[in-house]
Amino acid sequence: MTRYIIRRLLWGVVLLVLVLALLFVIFRILPTADPAKLRAGRLQSPKIIAEIRHDLGLDKSLPAQFWIYIKGIFLHFNLGYSYYSNAPVKELIFNRLPATLSLVLGGAIIWLFAGLSVGIISARRAGSKLDRASMGTALVLVSAPEYWLGLLMLFFFASDIGKIHVFPGAGSYVGLTAEPAKWFTSMVMPWLVVAAGTAAIYARLIRGSLIETMGEDYIRTARAKGLSERRVVLRHGLRSAINPIVTVLGVDIAVLLGSSVLVETVFDIPGIGRLNYVAITHSDFPIVQGTVLFAAMFVILANIIVDIAYAYLDPRVRYS
Amino acid sequence: MRALRTILLTALAAAAMMALAACGSSSSSSSSSSGTASSGSSGLPAGVKNPINESLTGGKRGGVLNDVQSEDFEHLDPGQAYFQLDYQITNSTQRALYSYKPNTFSQTTPDLAEGEPKLSDGNKLITINIRKGVHFSPPVNREVTAADVEYAIDRVANPNVANPYYLGYLEGVEGMKTSKGGQIPGVKATGKYTLQIKLTTPSAPIVVASMVLPYSAPVPKEYAAKFDAQKPSEYVNYQVASGPYMLKNNSAGKVLGIGYQPGKSATLVRNPNWKASTDFRPAYLNQINISIGGDANVIGRQVLEGSDMVQSDAPAAPIVKLAVQQHPSQLTISAGGGAGTRYIAINNSYGPFKNVNLRKALWAATDREDLDRLRGGKTVADVMTHFLWNGIAGFEESGGFTGPKVDYNEHPQGDMAVAEKYMKLAGYPSGKYTGSETLQVVGDSSAPANNVAEAVNSTLQKLGFKTKLNLVEHTVMYSKYCGVVSEKIDVCPNVGWIADFGDPQAVLDVPFNGNLIVQNGTNSNWGLVNHPKINAAMEAASKVVGVKARGEAWAKIDRELVAEAVAVPYQWAKEPYIESKDVEGINDYWNSGTFDYSFTSLK
Amino acid sequence: MSASEPLLRVEDLRVEFPTEDGIVHAVDGVSYEVQRARTLGIVGESGSGKTVSSLTTLGLTRTQGARISGRILFEGKDLVALSEAELRTIRGNEIAMIFQDPLSSLHPFFKVGAQLIEAVRVHQDVSKDVARRRAVELLGLVGIPDPSRRVDEYPHEFSGGMRQRAMIAMALSNEPKLLIADEPTTALDVTVQAQILALLERLQQELGMAIVMITHDLGVVAEMADDIAVMYAGRIIENASAETLFAGPEHPYTWGLLKSIPTLTGSRSQPLVPISGSPPSLINPPPGCHFHPRCPYSQPDHARIDPQLRPVSEASSEGASSHQVACLLEPSVRKRLWAELSEGKTPEQARVDVGLPAPPEALASAADPVGDVPEVGL
Repeated sequence: MTRYIIRRLLWGVVLLVLVLALLFVIFRILPTADPAKLRAGRLQSPKIIAEIRHDLGLDKSLPAQFWIYIKGIFLHFNLGYSYYSNAPVKELIFNRLPATLSLVLGGAIIWLFAGLSVGIISARRAGSKLDRASMGTALVLVSAPEYWLGLLMLFFFASDIGKIHVFPGAGSYVGLTAEPAKWFTSMVMPWLVVAAGTAAIYARLIRGSLIETMGEDYIRTARAKGLSERRVVLRHGLRSAINPIVTVLGVDIAVLLGSSVLVETVFDIPGIGRLNYVAITHSDFPIVQGTVLFAAMFVILANIIVDIAYAYLDPRVRYS
Repeated sequence: MRALRTILLTALAAAAMMALAACGSSSSSSSSSSGTASSGSSGLPAGVKNPINESLTGGKRGGVLNDVQSEDFEHLDPGQAYFQLDYQITNSTQRALYSYKPNTFSQTTPDLAEGEPKLSDGNKLITINIRKGVHFSPPVNREVTAADVEYAIDRVANPNVANPYYLGYLEGVEGMKTSKGGQIPGVKATGKYTLQIKLTTPSAPIVVASMVLPYSAPVPKEYAAKFDAQKPSEYVNYQVASGPYMLKNNSAGKVLGIGYQPGKSATLVRNPNWKASTDFRPAYLNQINISIGGDANVIGRQVLEGSDMVQSDAPAAPIVKLAVQQHPSQLTISAGGGAGTRYIAINNSYGPFKNVNLRKALWAATDREDLDRLRGGKTVADVMTHFLWNGIAGFEESGGFTGPKVDYNEHPQGDMAVAEKYMKLAGYPSGKYTGSETLQVVGDSSAPANNVAEAVNSTLQKLGFKTKLNLVEHTVMYSKYCGVVSEKIDVCPNVGWIADFGDPQAVLDVPFNGNLIVQNGTNSNWGLVNHPKINAAMEAASKVVGVKARGEAWAKIDRELVAEAVAVPYQWAKEPYIESKDVEGINDYWNSGTFDYSFTSLK
Repeated sequence: MSASEPLLRVEDLRVEFPTEDGIVHAVDGVSYEVQRARTLGIVGESGSGKTVSSLTTLGLTRTQGARISGRILFEGKDLVALSEAELRTIRGNEIAMIFQDPLSSLHPFFKVGAQLIEAVRVHQDVSKDVARRRAVELLGLVGIPDPSRRVDEYPHEFSGGMRQRAMIAMALSNEPKLLIADEPTTALDVTVQAQILALLERLQQELGMAIVMITHDLGVVAEMADDIAVMYAGRIIENASAETLFAGPEHPYTWGLLKSIPTLTGSRSQPLVPISGSPPSLINPPPGCHFHPRCPYSQPDHARIDPQLRPVSEASSEGASSHQVACLLEPSVRKRLWAELSEGKTPEQARVDVGLPAPPEALASAADPVGDVPEVGL
């Protein structure tokens, strides 16, 4: 098992380097602004721009620049320097990471809980009015744009501009360690928005998977043993039905960690998503490379964890 | 308008703007300082504040102001700053030699300097005495001397600092052109409090005028040199202040991550070493917390309905409308002055528009009122009729709001008959272009600029032109297409200009002086305007001394630019700003109307 | 004649499933008895209702919207009328069931031992250790070598035969009085089959357990069953002790089953005689005698009259009086037909020899194609 994990990790590293190389090339091909010009500002003489390019290492060949960058990452964990913000990329990312982690992990817990509960209940009462109502609601939530949902929540429940004053309004995020109570209340609405669509997807997913599982022979055996229906569903049924969820959960979290920009913007949460978006609009490549690096790392890690979880859940897999 | 906010608000903004335009055009009334004639008179909606009229004294001391802005700062290093949000910070933390009080764009007040500069040697020598008793903030703490101003000017030529305009205004300083950041021979602290600047050309007036920019604020060499040696300079992350406020820092002087977290927040606290007796600024507030990012509509409502808040960048159109209707006393509209212009750049040097008659035809055909409607209507736009604007010396001399009386300027809604006349004069008897060239048109992809680009595109097609319209992200537009000689772009409908300071040269020189065009690089003379007579007149006018005389000289140039139809002007921008009801917000007329922390107080 | 009260008595059991295409009459009026420590074999094709009737005994068809009528008396209690909670105390406890495919019938993600422990602890209030020891003991009882190691393995680590042994062990955890075995050997090799059947026989003797053996394979019941019920289209069409059935079967369908089995003693050149046609629809069964479309001896009025299950003959020995059959042919005709078939004649030849007219063509071709067999996958 350990050899398997090590092999996957090494392969993950190779993948990361490939992703970064691809990014490097893409940024040079797309018609984006020249970072040296961005740095130089409004009136520039070509002489100044050339000097800046040289100082920033932009006049070296592409492979040379890439090699310097890769060396920096693996030897010094130096992710480069943001031309636009005048700050090391690493510092910027680590400054913004906790907010996104709070958002995504909190949201994940909610969507897991809500999605599984609703999905299991719907599966047990497949075809009933309750089932149809919850699946219909799920469809609406999946289709609703996150940004719109966020604005809607603020419109109704924000303590500063909402109709009923329930939760703190946009921009009230504080770090968990700074003020735990305020961190929690300021995150409730964002968590709900993040969780809404995914909970709906998971509900439908587990519903289908559980309905299918409950038709299996070993469920019949479990009943024939005299087990309570609850135990049959939650222990025997869910254990098998959970597989597609596990597969999807790791990747969902990882992907969301890189793309939470909409929720972060509407609630004014200073996270990685927004950092990335602003960097893209300003052609601030080093930040984009840094955030993509992190996002890729998360996805790769998530995949490895999912594989391990899968092997743990399904003993048949361990021997392949 | 910046891309970030407007991309996110596309649909809402566009729809609301149509409504806003309809609403704005029906509200008339005026409380402006100069409006006389018909359309284009800068009438403000009832009950709205005007920065020109604000009271600069009597505020309550104390309190914390919360400033929300959806965009981030660009360059907080005083040696680099030129963006209006950056100026908000530098204006309250850095004492330039001369500064503007909030309600003017033409009259400067000595700030770090003790009085007016002495010009001698045929405008080739400037002598300035600086105030005594001004101190840097921690961790430097010591008194400011003329040597600190000398170093501040020296460092603008340092490529690690990369000041964007020093060659435009400071080229005449001896040794500036060739400097790489070391000591510049022409800049010398001849005494502890005396600074002398030697020029190779008699360009003292423009040099002095440029001293309102933050580059002239003192920088302590013994503290900053090590930061300036890094590529790029790290001084911005360790900067010290000379003004009433400072960016919060730690004992080592580090600002990054403490007083400024990029994309997230900034915090200004009082500079403990600042003395009110040395400054014209009252500095009522104790602290300013700046929050960066978020949805503009949400922010707007938080400000209007909340307390202790202001928004530093322009609010979303629906918010402006809401403010006009329900909270006019919380809305300030700054017309002219530091607010800018928008115009259509036309390529004067290559392609069909080399022909002045075609340029006049386009000007005549353009429905400027429609373009203004697309940008938000009368509340935020006045129809532009020439290239100087209200608040700048020379504006009245070159026609005021109605502008020079030429037939292609007469109809703000556009006049196809006049356009046809000029098409014929250009050699197209049918009144439509019949040439083979396809025009390259590059615009801004974000709303509402893209709508303006589309409208201009249709106007071109109405005149018979074949066009290729390309909408890109606006930093890309500026750095890769418009103003890049080799690209030979024919029309750039989404360019605009804000003056660095209130001298007419800062308005007309860079965008329209052919001598400043660089072949390999980006130009802010987007139309590649290059008319030898006008170039010469600009060179001469740069040497004129005295506000009134300069106004007259540059007004003549303005009329020449209109006669040559070098570009099609359409919008004199009026910038709206909002504050909570318990904030006594004072806005800087010279900085597009954004808030001045040193004068604002809480009620 | 007064035998001891039967352990299980099924009285006129009917199980219907409403479906989109109509009501499936899976079990259409079935009655039988199971004596203590005796084995009843229920034989039939797929769709005959044999599995459904057994699942219904344990109430395992309730979740599918089945409509159940009739009585199932277990030691005097009517299982059809019991609540779900009461039934659960009986499942895996007094009545246990094992299924056809042990690989899919054991949960693949849990260790075998864990599944056994669970079966024990649901009915006995014992600690995990005690239950575990019982599990090891049970695995030994069913003949699995090295049970204390095997108890921690997963089902996919067992061979097919051992898996079925493990299932049996699980069924026995609480010493049931009745074991229902639904096609327990169908998925296994022939040699393993024999081992499992031998095991079941041994366990029955050791534990005094009644067994219901459900199968489509007469060879399986020949060994083990004391009594046999033959089912067709949801009904029992013949019911007798094993000896009697093999010695003198009375129903043409039973003859078909017997004649389609290759025997060691028959000659190689003797052709196997399958039963023609396919099982009937349970939604719209054929009118009259449900078997008539496939019966080589059917007569015109067999399409009108529905035969009831009756004793073969009133007179003669005790054994013969408990032999029941549902057929419209004359008993004497049937005896002659069976005599012909026993000699090796084909059904056609036998019919001609006995002098019966050929079955009406129209009726034969009017047989419905295979109908909906409710997929009772619980």
